[in-house]
Amino acid sequence: MSETVKLVIDGKPCTCEKGDYLLEVAQRNGIRIPRMCYHEGLSGLGACRVCIVEVVEAGRSRVVTSCIYPVLSEIEVFTQNEKIKELRGMVLTLLARLAPNAEGVAKMAAKTGIELPRLAVKEGGDTCILCGRCVSACEALGSGAIAKVNRGVTKEIATPYGEPSSECIGCGSCAFVCPTDSIASERTEESFTIWGREFEMQRCSVCGMPFTTQAAFAFLQAAQAEWEPGAEQQPPLCEECGKKAVARQIANAGKYL
Amino acid sequence: MEERIREIAQRYPAEKRFSLAVLQDVQREFNYIPPEALPLIKEHLGPDVREGQLYALATFYKALSLKPKGKHIIKICDGTACHMQGSTRLITAVQLALGIGPGECTPDGQFSLELVNCVGSCALAPIMIVDETYHSKVTMEGLPAILDTYRPGGERDV
Repeated sequence: MSETVKLVIDGKPCTCEKGDYLLEVAQRNGIRIPRMCYHEGLSGLGACRVCIVEVVEAGRSRVVTSCIYPVLSEIEVFTQNEKIKELRGMVLTLLARLAPNAEGVAKMAAKTGIELPRLAVKEGGDTCILCGRCVSACEALGSGAIAKVNRGVTKEIATPYGEPSSECIGCGSCAFVCPTDSIASERTEESFTIWGREFEMQRCSVCGMPFTTQAAFAFLQAAQAEWEPGAEQQPPLCEECGKKAVARQIANAGKYL
Repeated sequence: MEERIREIAQRYPAEKRFSLAVLQDVQREFNYIPPEALPLIKEHLGPDVREGQLYALATFYKALSLKPKGKHIIKICDGTACHMQGSTRLITAVQLALGIGPGECTPDGQFSLELVNCVGSCALAPIMIVDETYHSKVTMEGLPAILDTYRPGGERDV
């Protein structure tokens, strides 16, 4: 049995289960804490520090990173008081310095009412804030083609040795989750190019629309074969046709009730 | 070499948490992490480990190197105390004597030079560590004699 914990977020009384992450608890209670590296489908990274909040516990106050802060006891939380606004402004300023061309940072600053110092935006300048969301997505999907490489000022997101990775399946999840759209990819009718590799597209077996790469589809089929050994392999279906197929199955199942 | 890397990997159970230990052993054996090593280590450690993760580890830790290193690794401390005691002169002297800068390796593969931060022996500054031997209070006059012992045929060149 899990324990229930009471907490107050921005004056609103809430409850959660012991160990739930603060950012998610706030979200469930209608309070959206600004964030950049956190993604609903992945575990908290605590990398961007945009989601910092003030936590007061038994009269003692401290600033925590809400996406990786488990609520363990009764606390009072402030997600946008003056102190937090100032600190979050500092965090966003540093992120903007790191990646002056990252639109995501500018948008986040505008959304949270923070004025960024004017920075010289250079053509082709950096857009990556090194949050690692892409790496996390790649690992979560079971590929792991990219990683955070080097450290300090030379840190970057790259494939091993900067070479096209044999583990990459061209699913494009890294580019999809990137909060600053900093991963370059190119998609045509026939191919998808990312991390220095070109992938052939897989067409839907019903409508013929290219919907993923052949490598990503083969990867999914192999994963399915592992989860359900002996199960019938699904034909390649795009999202739309896949939904229709499921709907038809459900409709047919109804007939026999 | 591949056989040797496999042997090193197999000293450890096939679990992700042994990634760093295997990399350290490979580093010790070859003085660097050869490009062939990562796929072989991954193969042994199992599906939880990705090549990207191993590459991230190998580039994160200073103790691991992706570039080949010399037979003898000279580490000169450039921490505050050593710096005050003239470590920069020492670095220049080694550069002049061997023709290599920090992070480089001599063409014959005999020496590589690295700068390190404080090694905790400030009273003995300036410190120069060659392989596992600490040379303390190194002077410009004493340096050539120390280096000679590590040259081919020298008493420490084993």
